[in-house]
Amino acid sequence: MSQQLALLMIVLPVVGAVLCGTIMKGCRHVAVGCSAGVLGLAVWTVTAGFGASSRLMFGRLPWLTAMSNEPLFGIMIDPLSALMLVLVTTIGFLTVLYSTQYLTERHKEHPVPAGEHGRYYFWLLLFLASMVGVSVSPNFLQLLLFWELTTVCSWALISFHRNARSLRAGFKALVMTHAGGLFFLVAICILFARGHSFDFSAIAALPEGLRAWVFVCLMIAAWAKAAQVPLHTWLPDAMEAPTPISAYLHAAAMVKAGVYLMARSAGAGWAMPPHVALVLAIMAMVTIAIALSFYFVQDDLKRLLAFSTIAHLGYILLGVGIGSLGSVLAYRGGVLHIICHGFSKATLFFCAGAVAYVTGSRSISAIRGLGRSMPLSATAFFVGVLAVAGVPPFACFWSKFMILAGAMQLSGPIGPIVLVFILVETLVSFAWLLYVAQRVFMGTPSPVATVNSDPPPAMSVTLVILMVGCLLAPAIGIPLVELIGR
Amino acid sequence: MTGALRLLGIALGTLLVGSIVSLALARDRRRCGWASFLFVTAAGVLTWVAAARALSAGSSTEVRIVELAGVGATLAISIDPLSAVFLLIATAIAVLSTLFSIHYMDHYRSDQVAKFYPVLQLFFASIIAVLLASDFLFFLVFWELMTLTSFFLVIFERESQSSQRAGLKYFIVTHAATLCMLAAALVLWDTSGSFHFAQLREALSTLIVTRPIMAHTVILLFFLGFATKAGVLPMGDWLPDAHPVAPSGVSAALSGVLVKLGIYGMMRLFCNLLPISPASETWGWVVALAGTGSLFVGTLTAVRQTDSKRLMAFSTIGQIGYICLAIGVGVHSLRSNSALAAVALAAALLHAMNHACFKSCLFLGAGSVLFRTGKRNLDQLGGLAASMPYTAGASTVASLSISGVPPFNGFASKWLIVVSCLLAGMGSPLFLVLGLIALFISLASLASFMQVLASVFYGRSDESVNVREVPPSMAVPQVILAGLCVVLGVFPQLPLRYAGFAVERLLGMPDTGTIGGGWSGAYVSSGGVLVAFWSPVAMLIAIAALGLIAYAIQRAGGAAVKRVPVWYCGEEHPARIVRYAASSLYLPFKDAFRRIYPSWSARAPRFPPRLRSAFDLDRWLYEPSVRVVLDAAGRVSRTHVGTPQVYLLWIVIGAMAVLGIMLALAI
Repeated sequence: MSQQLALLMIVLPVVGAVLCGTIMKGCRHVAVGCSAGVLGLAVWTVTAGFGASSRLMFGRLPWLTAMSNEPLFGIMIDPLSALMLVLVTTIGFLTVLYSTQYLTERHKEHPVPAGEHGRYYFWLLLFLASMVGVSVSPNFLQLLLFWELTTVCSWALISFHRNARSLRAGFKALVMTHAGGLFFLVAICILFARGHSFDFSAIAALPEGLRAWVFVCLMIAAWAKAAQVPLHTWLPDAMEAPTPISAYLHAAAMVKAGVYLMARSAGAGWAMPPHVALVLAIMAMVTIAIALSFYFVQDDLKRLLAFSTIAHLGYILLGVGIGSLGSVLAYRGGVLHIICHGFSKATLFFCAGAVAYVTGSRSISAIRGLGRSMPLSATAFFVGVLAVAGVPPFACFWSKFMILAGAMQLSGPIGPIVLVFILVETLVSFAWLLYVAQRVFMGTPSPVATVNSDPPPAMSVTLVILMVGCLLAPAIGIPLVELIGR
Repeated sequence: MTGALRLLGIALGTLLVGSIVSLALARDRRRCGWASFLFVTAAGVLTWVAAARALSAGSSTEVRIVELAGVGATLAISIDPLSAVFLLIATAIAVLSTLFSIHYMDHYRSDQVAKFYPVLQLFFASIIAVLLASDFLFFLVFWELMTLTSFFLVIFERESQSSQRAGLKYFIVTHAATLCMLAAALVLWDTSGSFHFAQLREALSTLIVTRPIMAHTVILLFFLGFATKAGVLPMGDWLPDAHPVAPSGVSAALSGVLVKLGIYGMMRLFCNLLPISPASETWGWVVALAGTGSLFVGTLTAVRQTDSKRLMAFSTIGQIGYICLAIGVGVHSLRSNSALAAVALAAALLHAMNHACFKSCLFLGAGSVLFRTGKRNLDQLGGLAASMPYTAGASTVASLSISGVPPFNGFASKWLIVVSCLLAGMGSPLFLVLGLIALFISLASLASFMQVLASVFYGRSDESVNVREVPPSMAVPQVILAGLCVVLGVFPQLPLRYAGFAVERLLGMPDTGTIGGGWSGAYVSSGGVLVAFWSPVAMLIAIAALGLIAYAIQRAGGAAVKRVPVWYCGEEHPARIVRYAASSLYLPFKDAFRRIYPSWSARAPRFPPRLRSAFDLDRWLYEPSVRVVLDAAGRVSRTHVGTPQVYLLWIVIGAMAVLGIMLALAI
């Protein structure tokens, strides 16, 4: 029963997308309704079978039956996908809700005429559907299909404004993530050729040497998707997208698909060879350090947040890497970071969007003292900063803490090195983000920031919900990740 | 005893509800203030009842609320006499500073109280939660919640650049301290598998045997964490910036309560976590020396200040130094002489209580002056005693108290601190030196507060300035605190009994009767022999008798009292010119100690541009490779010339190549 409903979670937004693409008028309401429906279904699915694993399989490909007679498509719900579902659908719904007032002609930076709405909601709902598809995929094949669908959707949405810069950024994102996706394809070709199965668990059955290569291919795919060094350069450029899209892209969709792939393949049988896991962890730390070094030269609020996202995706992969080295606690921390970072980063992006909406500017150096006219956005931004920096009791503290504790469980020098590295990074990024928050929202209002007020209700409600999410995300996440074990 | 915890739970709930209610009422400043005051008072009464129960019954059982099995952490709360003492301090100051703030917040016209009262109540709630937590992970969570709420109180004045800078510095420095403690706790957790204080203690006692260097690193990290919050120099450098810029009610709470929690943490660390071992002797030295350094530098720097609140902030550093000195003596003698340890720790606890009374009173006094005159600069103020008698009186009492003038409460605790230094000095003479430094630095304290009193309240007032006394809701808290300074000074045995009880329970000692008090005063005995005794009542009677005699002699002599104005060479001068300004007092001393508090402005190092371009993969990797691909594609496209003959030529060449390869393979 619940699997059929879960299937509806993919069908509903696709239907909504088609409707939005065709009817044009009133498509906002359709989009809100569809995404709310998906959210309701997701909540129902997750709570009904809390933490239970279930799968429903159907559909074969006739030309593959010679090698494998198992059904190839279906729905799988387990704690990891439940966590992703909650994140994807909640942020998805909030993105749609926020967009209804963000994408109007009253927008100061990028006014959007009503005629453009159909195209926007078509791609957004398709994005939502494909992310749900990624979350509930029972095997690598289906995951790859939805994975590439998210690439297409993000290409269309990043280029939404269709000016030279955004077209270029969208193309760059498409090329880089698709190039990574080809490695994914290589990985599952090897997997199917040798193991005759696309199942996640089939990866553990491969011989040691080949398994390492499969994991390396998956890792490169994840790096490209999750904007990790050296494939990170598309993400800051993707800031040309409308801000709700950036928020969705960073908090729940697209980049999270990359880390989800890594978490999924590492958690299936815990078969990642230690040296690959070590490479994953080290590259994650390199990414964190490089992303941090870019914080200090950003003037565009959204670009700053983009580099912060890169660093935090590094945290997730660090957790997964350490988890594959033998500490399940760090793996849980990494997975928990998916949802904690999702809520925190969405808060920050929606705030940046609200600022751009009322002031028409995203420049850190030009905006001062917005707190007076936009108290709600200021509060939300501070909450987001504290949450993303991992100040207790906010969300990311708990996930970072679990990663740290997990690292300490490993024997040898890895634990202390990771501990010192992460704590230093945490302090520096916390200090810088707090400084930026104070610069933008405190002080005497600058000319840009004098005449405005908090954004319209739909956007304000989104901010309030996300603030609560920043506090309560671990309360949902921790019970779920505790169920993941080896 | 779970009854006490239930009361505290209700108190926490009251504060949370209060913060929401005050947020809803924020449009009306006064109503919001009174509502907050009611909620804080209700929570305060509940907390006092609970703390009183804990002080009569001893430690409570622990209540577990949430368990995080995966990481071995439990949200568990319990109350013991030590936390009860700090709860008493915290809630008393909380209630009084909220009462003070009701009218005081009118001072900030352009800032909404919506960002004050709700945060203030969350701040108090987090303080209570910190004092109750018995699991280190949740201790840290509440600890940082406390930092974060106090940060928002410090940056309350949105448009003031100095508030913003001070708040940023405060949060970054204390967050670094918290991360230090987190690292230390994780190292211990690695061996114990749990964050409960009892398990951490076991882990530390094994670690100190197996890996002493790691154990000392852990203790150092904890010490750094707590000392930063307590304001021990040099980590406490945030304090002189953050205290002056906060609204005065908050300054009082920061100085009276927040820094005390650093002391609480240190007492927990050195008496609960650290097993009694040679390490405790070493760390006793470290704490005592840090405390002495802090009291020396802090108090002498206070003398040089002309901003009243900044002066008080430096004086807080000094007074915290006294407390640390006492803790150091106590921790040092834990192994050799547990009775002495109890005396020293009780002295520390007593001084913490007393400091909360007089320092909060002084901050409220400075706030009252700021409220009426808008000035914090001592040089621009003068002669306010005539127009603000209650404020002046309360500040005078508190100033005498902080300087350790008998019979006020500051004397009682400083006396006990010096006594414990002297007793410890019999074993290791360096403590004698530290005790003497502490004794003489009291003079500097007196000098700095005489400077405040003389320049703000006494001397000639500006005739042009029309200043009134502050409204009763602001005067009452000051008078209550000043009254406490007197009562606790004349009857030091009352607080000392509780402090002694708390310390004995903390150390797990039987009731030895080392510290005690009768109706007449307080005493310290060692092995049944009375080694120190202080009876304020007797001394007061003696002073009164001497005063009477002096009066009688004056009457008998019949000397006339002449009052003449100061002669300014016959010229008329406005008061502000002929007043003796604070900055011109003690000039030789100020010159002598000019360099004692070095300050420099740190600049962030420039990021090396070479590294920056190395990190920019687009520039040297992707864009060139895209260009290469495009060039190659361009070159290939050049073969498409559109002439059929050329294509035919290609086909022929291709066919020949294929044939050649096949022939070569066949051979």
